[in-house]
Amino acid sequence: MKYQMMKRGRRKVLKATIGWFCSYTPTELFEAAGCAAYGIREDSGKAHEDVYLGDSICSYVRSCMGGALGGSYDFLDGVVVAHSCECMRRLYDGWLFKQNDIKPECIHLLDVPRVCNEKSIAFFSQSLRHLKDKIELRYGKITDDALRASIVRHNRTRALLSRLFELRKRDNPPVTGVEALKIIQRSTTEPRDEFNRDLESLLASWESDSRASNSARPRVMVYGGIGNPRLHEAVEDAGGIVVFEDACTGVRHFYGMADTEGDPIHALAARYLSKPPCPRMLGEHANRGLSDAVQIIKDYRIQGIVYYAVKFCTNLQMGMLQYKEMIGGHAPVKMIEGEISGEVNEREIASFIKKIGRRSAA
Amino acid sequence: MNGRITEENRKQREIQYKNFVSLTGMTERQMEDLAAERFAGAWSELTASQKRGRLLSDQFLRSYGRSPEAKGEYQLVGWRSLFMPTEIMYAMGIMPLTVEMTAAQLAMMGLAVGRLETAEGNGYVQDICSFIKTGGGAVIEDILPSPDILLTSTHICDPSAKFAMYAAHKYNRPEFVLDIPYSVWSYGPDEEGKKRYEDAVSYVADQLGDMVRFISSETGAVFDEAKLIETIELANEARKWFLLGYKFLLEEPGAVQGSKDMDYAVNLMQTWGTEQIVDVYKSRYDELRAAAKKKSAAGEKPKVRWAHLRPYYANTLIDYIEEKADIIGSHVNYIYWDEMDARDPFRELARKTVLTPTYCQVGTRSSLILQAMNKGEGLIAFYPKSCRHYHSSARMEQETFKKNGIPMLILDSDCIDNRGDDFLIQKTRIDRFLKSLEQGQMRV
Repeated sequence: MKYQMMKRGRRKVLKATIGWFCSYTPTELFEAAGCAAYGIREDSGKAHEDVYLGDSICSYVRSCMGGALGGSYDFLDGVVVAHSCECMRRLYDGWLFKQNDIKPECIHLLDVPRVCNEKSIAFFSQSLRHLKDKIELRYGKITDDALRASIVRHNRTRALLSRLFELRKRDNPPVTGVEALKIIQRSTTEPRDEFNRDLESLLASWESDSRASNSARPRVMVYGGIGNPRLHEAVEDAGGIVVFEDACTGVRHFYGMADTEGDPIHALAARYLSKPPCPRMLGEHANRGLSDAVQIIKDYRIQGIVYYAVKFCTNLQMGMLQYKEMIGGHAPVKMIEGEISGEVNEREIASFIKKIGRRSAA
Repeated sequence: MNGRITEENRKQREIQYKNFVSLTGMTERQMEDLAAERFAGAWSELTASQKRGRLLSDQFLRSYGRSPEAKGEYQLVGWRSLFMPTEIMYAMGIMPLTVEMTAAQLAMMGLAVGRLETAEGNGYVQDICSFIKTGGGAVIEDILPSPDILLTSTHICDPSAKFAMYAAHKYNRPEFVLDIPYSVWSYGPDEEGKKRYEDAVSYVADQLGDMVRFISSETGAVFDEAKLIETIELANEARKWFLLGYKFLLEEPGAVQGSKDMDYAVNLMQTWGTEQIVDVYKSRYDELRAAAKKKSAAGEKPKVRWAHLRPYYANTLIDYIEEKADIIGSHVNYIYWDEMDARDPFRELARKTVLTPTYCQVGTRSSLILQAMNKGEGLIAFYPKSCRHYHSSARMEQETFKKNGIPMLILDSDCIDNRGDDFLIQKTRIDRFLKSLEQGQMRV
């Protein structure tokens, strides 16, 4: 409801609101066209109700499809689906197939390479130009200057969120994981300038608070995809604190700036492919992502990792073994399977937090 | 050659071979005798499917250094994902090993469930693709010949690519990932679509060039363009013969059991570019013509086409269907690519690779299937529940085909894992489907 009200308010100044799903979607293009970007998360309320795509699809895609069919996204003008994985490709098919019953138009399927190198960046640039053409057909010309300005605004969000994550390195972080997650989620739905302004002021007050205090709460990293907000609550209810999310609603969403010089489309392609990798990514870049996790564990003094694999997310499910083998020696890893919303296994989480708490006390 | 890898593989493949043989319940001697017996007859005396079987067995045993025809010889082995083209591999002396094909073979030998259980006991979740999970169990049990290199394409199956990434880590071997643009078939016939298609081909062709350099630098295998041209010419020749057989079978349905023909699975097969496969497909064509002459004039049965693969474990399902219907074609035998111009090998291979028709949007795939089907035919889709790619498209396809007058039966079982197999339930649905086909009805 809140967002629908917000949407009506924004009608006056914005041409349209375009929904997006995957963190590989360069929303700079939407905003450069004078549209708002709205990140569709886990909250359609239809997580388990779509039967159209069958029951071998992850609950995020089922939630999106169910939400689309149930009218949860009627306030959107259109959506762009990134071809990030097997499940997302079917969301595009399903949306298109049921387009007569779904209000927002499925504007585009954005093909995203699974490797990061010069050739894939060049190919992704072509895909982005194609998306840009599609957006321009509906919402007018996107000039290079407008796109650069949009990149600057997005980079501002990224810089602010990076500062937020810096604060979480503190012994006693001024924000809990639950609060940080809400801020990240807000950054995907709220008007960018408004969000940047609000976060700037919040950060100023947190950064000036130099009280030194230690927290004995076990420090946890969450690894996963779109995640389940209840997971953060469960970790923190059990006495832990989430200080880092290697997830789509975490570092993958904001880390890494886009170049503001040169060809803006190429800059976007390079930024999005080289950002911290989602488990969908392969090759050297994917392996580098796993190696980087070791540094993150040191920097954030992570004491335990909750690897949250959304059921039927093959990339997360298949990534578990390698993750545990490569990272498990640096911090204990707890594998949990679940859905994108609803309950998580609190008992398992509580037991893990207790275990890592004991381990660090020893 | 990479000294470290070669040295490790030499030792490890001995153990892996022993591990594999022990699974079969045979001694090494018994296995050798069996292989010798299988390889004893003259190639020319074999049927097409026997030739294919011998070729694949030889490739598998060669990877361990145990083929009767090349015993003790070290073989460079490249683990390949299912849709990675093989022509370059053969041109460089790399023996492909396709984990999914190995999983099917293990299922046929009744050895897959044990591997599935091993995988599940070691962190593989229940709902992952059973082909890959079987491969996962085989890696944990260390029964497959360890690779010199892994060559992975990003086509279709997420689990396949992630499995290869894990196997590269597990064996500490180099991996090359060939990134494939999605749904090239959907680009459209206009100028923009044509340009995008050519861009996609260039993208993949450039990567194939990189792959050759990667293979050379990591394994020491030498690339010779003349050899690649030769393998492409062989692939073209094999394509010609297979296509002749395919077209013949459409005109003479029932000349052979469709399920047996399905086992050629040409668009997944790792034999493109070998000399032997040309002869296999030629023999198949000769056999089809001979069989058609002998075919009895029994009453016509309903004609069905098959989508996806078949169950590879011992089952009654296929026999039951073929008692009552003719399987006249299958997706896996669809030759979707044109003859390749051997003078431009990378670009032509890239064309073949990007056009893999199953790697496209459901609507496009449905249109391609509809183009191939005739009125009165039905479609049986054997879609494993663990296959996100196919299973998730079932309902959309069914509605599309229904609108176009093509009845479709979806059997959501599994190709490898028979632990949930329930023939009786499937039988009821098959009966109803075939009856409706006979009556020209659409209620499925």
